[in-house]
Amino acid sequence: MRIKILLFGQLKERLGADFIEIEGVMDSDLLMVKLKSEFPVLSEISFRVAVDKNLISEKVVLSEKSEVALLPPFSGG
Amino acid sequence: MSHTKVKNIFIQGAISPSFIMERIQKHSTKTDIGAHNIFIGQIRADEKDGHQVTAIQYTAYEEMALEKMSNIREDIFVKYPLTCLHVYHSLGLVPTGEICLFVFTSASHRKEAIDACEELVERIKVELPIWGEEIFDNGSQTWKINK
Repeated sequence: MRIKILLFGQLKERLGADFIEIEGVMDSDLLMVKLKSEFPVLSEISFRVAVDKNLISEKVVLSEKSEVALLPPFSGG
Repeated sequence: MSHTKVKNIFIQGAISPSFIMERIQKHSTKTDIGAHNIFIGQIRADEKDGHQVTAIQYTAYEEMALEKMSNIREDIFVKYPLTCLHVYHSLGLVPTGEICLFVFTSASHRKEAIDACEELVERIKVELPIWGEEIFDNGSQTWKINK
């Protein structure tokens, strides 16, 4: 299973891409572990995770259709 | 009247004062309104390490921002007896001194309009996935963080 992860703000700039793809993760906890090992920069920048446009605060089961996004601190207005 | 429709709030570049004027003018036919309250956000020339901000470049997770804004709109209409509310936020480059946020509430009486407007601005800053990158006069850039 391949999950597409949208990047925004500083993360988009630091990783140099609009999105990244991760294989073989079933839930958001496993996704974070794999992401941080593949992209060490993710341990340096604070961000929150949204699944299907909702911020998550605990483990969420993921499917190929899940829209995952990594969101650095907001600064609108 | 239903307020559930997801409205676009984004405007490319700065929000012009004439656009704001037109929006105010449009409400003259709604004669149950007794009070408007308006918040206008402008790009400040902050200084860091001897260099000045010349613009802010805004980007957003647009679909999520519009969905969240729609929820906030619903909450505000439940909490305050407003006639209407309008929110506009810039995307892209907005130079110093220009307008990047326009929040407009209207009600029969002033207190509802003022309180709703204030709450809207606070929630917009905290809850909408929008990012501003400050551009300095020496070409350097830093990501802004809302306090």
